[in-house]
Amino acid sequence: MAGLTLGVAVVIAIRLANTGSVRGFETALDVVAGKTSLEIVGAGVGVPESQLAGLGWLAAYGRVSPVIDRRARIRVPAGREYAVQVLGVDVLRDQPFREYRLVRFAREGQNPRPHELLALLLDAASVVLTERFAVRHDIDVDTAVQLVIGDRVHDSVVRGLLLDEGPARVVDGQLVLLDVATAQLLFDRLGWVDRVEIQLFDAEGIDEAEAAIAERLPDGLRVQRPAQRGRQVEKMLAAFHFNLTALSYIALMVGLFLVYNTIAVSVISRRAEIGMLRALGATRRVVLRLFLGEAAALAVAGAALGLPVGWLLARVAVRLTTTTVNTLYITSAAAVPPLSAAELALACAVSLPLALAAAAVPALEGAGVPPVAAVRGADRVSSGVRPPRRAAVTAAILFAAAGWFSTRDAVGGLPLYGLAAALAVVAGGAALAPVLLALFRRAGRPALARWFKVEGLLAHANLSAAVTRLAVSVAALVVSLAMLAAIAIMIGSFRATVSHWVGQTLRADLFVAAASRAPAGPAATISTATEQRIAAHPAVAAVDQFRTVDLPYGSDGDLIILGAGDFEVLLAHGGLLFKHPADGHAAMARAVGTEMVVVSESFALKHKVAVDDLVELETPRGPRAFQVAAVYYDYSSDRGLVVMDRPTFERHYGAHRPVGLTVYLDADADPDAVREELLAGLGSGQQLLIRTNATLRSEVLRIFDATFAVTYALEAIAIFVAIMGVAATLLTLVLERRHELGLMRLIGASRRQIRRMVVIEATVLGVLSQALGLVVGVALSMILIYVINVQSFGWTIQFRLPFGFLARSTVLIAVAAALSGLYPARIAGAIAVEDRR
Amino acid sequence: MTGCGRTTRRRFVGGVAGWLWLGIAAAPFAQTPALVTPDGWRQVDGESVLQFPRDHGSHPGYRIEWWYYTGNLSAAGGRRFGYQVTFFRIGVDPAPANPSRWAVRDLFMAHLALTDVARGRHLAAERLDRGAVGWAGARTGTLDVWNGDWRAELDGDTHRITAVDRAFGVDLRLEPGKGTVPHGERGVSRKGDQPGNASYYYSMTRMPTSGRVWLDGVPIEVSGASWMDHEFGTTFLEPGQVGWDWFSLQLDDGTDLMVFQIRRADGRPDTHSGGTWVDPDAQRSGLAGGQIVLEAGRRWTSDASGAVYPVAWRLAVADRQADLRIEAVVDAQELDTAASTGVTYWEGAVTVSGQIDGRTVAGRGYLEMTGYAGRPMSEVFR
Repeated sequence: MAGLTLGVAVVIAIRLANTGSVRGFETALDVVAGKTSLEIVGAGVGVPESQLAGLGWLAAYGRVSPVIDRRARIRVPAGREYAVQVLGVDVLRDQPFREYRLVRFAREGQNPRPHELLALLLDAASVVLTERFAVRHDIDVDTAVQLVIGDRVHDSVVRGLLLDEGPARVVDGQLVLLDVATAQLLFDRLGWVDRVEIQLFDAEGIDEAEAAIAERLPDGLRVQRPAQRGRQVEKMLAAFHFNLTALSYIALMVGLFLVYNTIAVSVISRRAEIGMLRALGATRRVVLRLFLGEAAALAVAGAALGLPVGWLLARVAVRLTTTTVNTLYITSAAAVPPLSAAELALACAVSLPLALAAAAVPALEGAGVPPVAAVRGADRVSSGVRPPRRAAVTAAILFAAAGWFSTRDAVGGLPLYGLAAALAVVAGGAALAPVLLALFRRAGRPALARWFKVEGLLAHANLSAAVTRLAVSVAALVVSLAMLAAIAIMIGSFRATVSHWVGQTLRADLFVAAASRAPAGPAATISTATEQRIAAHPAVAAVDQFRTVDLPYGSDGDLIILGAGDFEVLLAHGGLLFKHPADGHAAMARAVGTEMVVVSESFALKHKVAVDDLVELETPRGPRAFQVAAVYYDYSSDRGLVVMDRPTFERHYGAHRPVGLTVYLDADADPDAVREELLAGLGSGQQLLIRTNATLRSEVLRIFDATFAVTYALEAIAIFVAIMGVAATLLTLVLERRHELGLMRLIGASRRQIRRMVVIEATVLGVLSQALGLVVGVALSMILIYVINVQSFGWTIQFRLPFGFLARSTVLIAVAAALSGLYPARIAGAIAVEDRR
Repeated sequence: MTGCGRTTRRRFVGGVAGWLWLGIAAAPFAQTPALVTPDGWRQVDGESVLQFPRDHGSHPGYRIEWWYYTGNLSAAGGRRFGYQVTFFRIGVDPAPANPSRWAVRDLFMAHLALTDVARGRHLAAERLDRGAVGWAGARTGTLDVWNGDWRAELDGDTHRITAVDRAFGVDLRLEPGKGTVPHGERGVSRKGDQPGNASYYYSMTRMPTSGRVWLDGVPIEVSGASWMDHEFGTTFLEPGQVGWDWFSLQLDDGTDLMVFQIRRADGRPDTHSGGTWVDPDAQRSGLAGGQIVLEAGRRWTSDASGAVYPVAWRLAVADRQADLRIEAVVDAQELDTAASTGVTYWEGAVTVSGQIDGRTVAGRGYLEMTGYAGRPMSEVFR
């Protein structure tokens, strides 16, 4: 039951964690969207003001409000900083959208009139915060706070507090309301707004209005529903979440193996009782029901326990994945949603039928016990789960199926066939468990005899006698260990690949970013003053500015990253690793200043684009085609990057402040010293993060490791469950052999010898499982690397065996298995000479 | 002092501006020449002479400016309508430090009201915009003021007024008629003893009007006469005033009459009460407060605001032997402008009947009453 509990718990935890991170974003989206029915967005960089004047006709459809929606940090009087969502609005237009109710006005039973709200916000030093946030941080009206935006710190005064409702609830009250003019100034958005929101007069006619507005909008602008942004984010996270979910089901599978095991052991150990029942007139059906009932009870109990455990696990997982998701995708205040009927239904729907299915085989066998023979004890335990030969054939078929699945393409962007292949390999590995045990029975005796003398011989004999019963536990352990090995190989290979890529690609000496840089979404910008000061340093040879914008691409509107950098600087100093063409350097040189782009490998794979193809990108003046000059390796994002030369970018998207600077120093300069000098020159209040090449490299790998922390955590759970299964099986074997063990004591076996024997059995099982697990794991890792990874993320990963890790884990598994044998060993050792049943 | 009737408008306008100033640190403006306020707005010095069409346009150097159109219209079958279209420009900061186009220099407001006399309906709509990206504004040099798709502009000498809310509005052409009538001295309407406490103020008192009104989304051809006011200035605050009653009357003998009284906290009319008498041949003469007697008659209580408005009046102008009865065509012509100016007032079409110099006269006009609902003026008006 413990196994099932954990399995259900992990599935629930991952589900909650996944919905938690997306829902966190969507809730934020919903409350911020308010009563917005439609929104107009521009091509990545937002809506240019020059086009707003021409949009007066929108007023015929509804109220219209331009919005700047950004992230920043706020420094409260106590000195701590918090991430905040910053909404820059024209309150004169925006009030019908979001109903801003201020504490001060509410006390007088009123709402602020638009111009009263404007009066509060008009000064560029004015901010309105939420009551929820203010109470927590001892802030009141007229308290001075600081907004940290990009590399700037902006002194502000709190002019009002929003009641704890509506938009004020976003991100747990971490919302700052600014006037749109102030927001433009602070976020380097003069001349632009992020979107224009529309509240239709006729909300029912949204479809017609959307179509009519889309028809009339000028090139470069699109109309969409606010939920669209939620869907884009959801899609962005889909592959990530899908893989986590798949992993969670493996934990459940291990749990089901254990149900099978439990029922099988139960059937075996109660043969006499079954025979008795049958002799007393119980039908096969009754016996079958008894065992299925036991499985159902286990499933229900497992699900019931699994739910709260899952919720607790989810909290841990969310803490881990939020870091990951934030690092890779979006900022969101992910919170674990409360357990709902949906989770209860899922837990039951998953655990009950699967548990019954898992129990069906042993239960049927139990039902088939011939009564008389069983009562007499003359009946022998059936020849096995599967005779080794049949098991070997099954395994071969499964491996062949896996091979075929591996050649299939992704379905709807999800690696369904890849997972089927992985599943087939895992199932094949499980099927090999009895074959492995049979081989051990045949060939293991001399080795055990040599190493462990009498105890070894006895252990071999005991294990050989119990092959059928052990097969299931071993299979579960093999599956877990194969998963562990595969994931370790995949992550190890990936890490080595990324490490190599980082070494080749990161050539600049210093990397400058705003300290308050949001991990994703509209990035914080670097001010002109900072840029000039850095460029003026005598040791600086060249500075490349980097800009990024999120841009919907293709018919599905997947968010890709459009980047702009100085190609000439990159060519002279940088080191992109090109996949195609052979001379990527020359190809990129041709793209300088032209309508050409270089694209990342994941972009090329996902959108099936090759060198010389045209990609069509949305620009403020409508769609434009760019020719792909080269494809380069990139592991910084699975969303796909399209990079163009800075002049090309500015020609199409306008001038925008950079989000990062890469600085190349003179050959004899010391990066650390220059970094110190630059930071000192920028003063103590600076909000810049300047990393040297070495620190950025280790930072990249740190993020990488954090990303896969969850994976390892899940794996650890699965292995724990599996080892517990082995221990449980050994325990039942011990209990069943009380009589036999008593006899051994009688003929002179010491307690120590008995204990030793049981521990040897456990260790042997662990080592055997690990051996098979490693083999299956290598196969599985290849599927992960060459099929699933490519289909979900589109990365080239160089296959590499992490020998050290695998060796260490083998030792660890052996030790863990031995330890798991201690308890059954103690029970066995405690059996007295006279204790013969 | 004729401009004082417009103090009414000043009141909502002043109210908004007053609130705005609560939140604004005064701009560090040097107090250059005498007639510039510390925050950089020009004051009325009387140096300028009104010229048209130039002065139909905006005067962004002054803080407050409005264009006011009211009129009585009839459809072919005799169905009567009253309309009001008002554009306000309220200066907030003559030179905002923030280079953003959204930085607030002026606020633009607009009120639209249509009275459907036959059905006793009064429809109103309002707009408020900071004019950041051309969604509202006012040109200098000629008449062109707009708020969204509501607009007043010059087409030759004709004023074109277009203001259609979703289902109602007006789309009218106003001919100049008697032309412009300056109030006060050459259009400078003094409001107080302090230099600069004055406004430029003129009216076009009888503008032959044709076009369409929109009701329930249906256009109806109409014709009639309109009254236009245009006033701009920076400072003309008057403490202790509770509200005022203002009349613009167009009589069928060709006479136009503007009369106002300011009500003080103690209930007495303010000394600034007065008016302007415009003969059929466009000759104007000022009316002093002492010449005017206004008596409130029947009262109507607004369900929305609870305010009690006199909707029938008797007006006597002793010097002219005029004795006129003024009656609202519909009682319910109250506007609640919470979303823009934030003042509740009554502005509506009226009919006039009575005698002047022994002759029986009749006519139509507009009546504006403020200070009957909401905060006392002394609080609103700073």
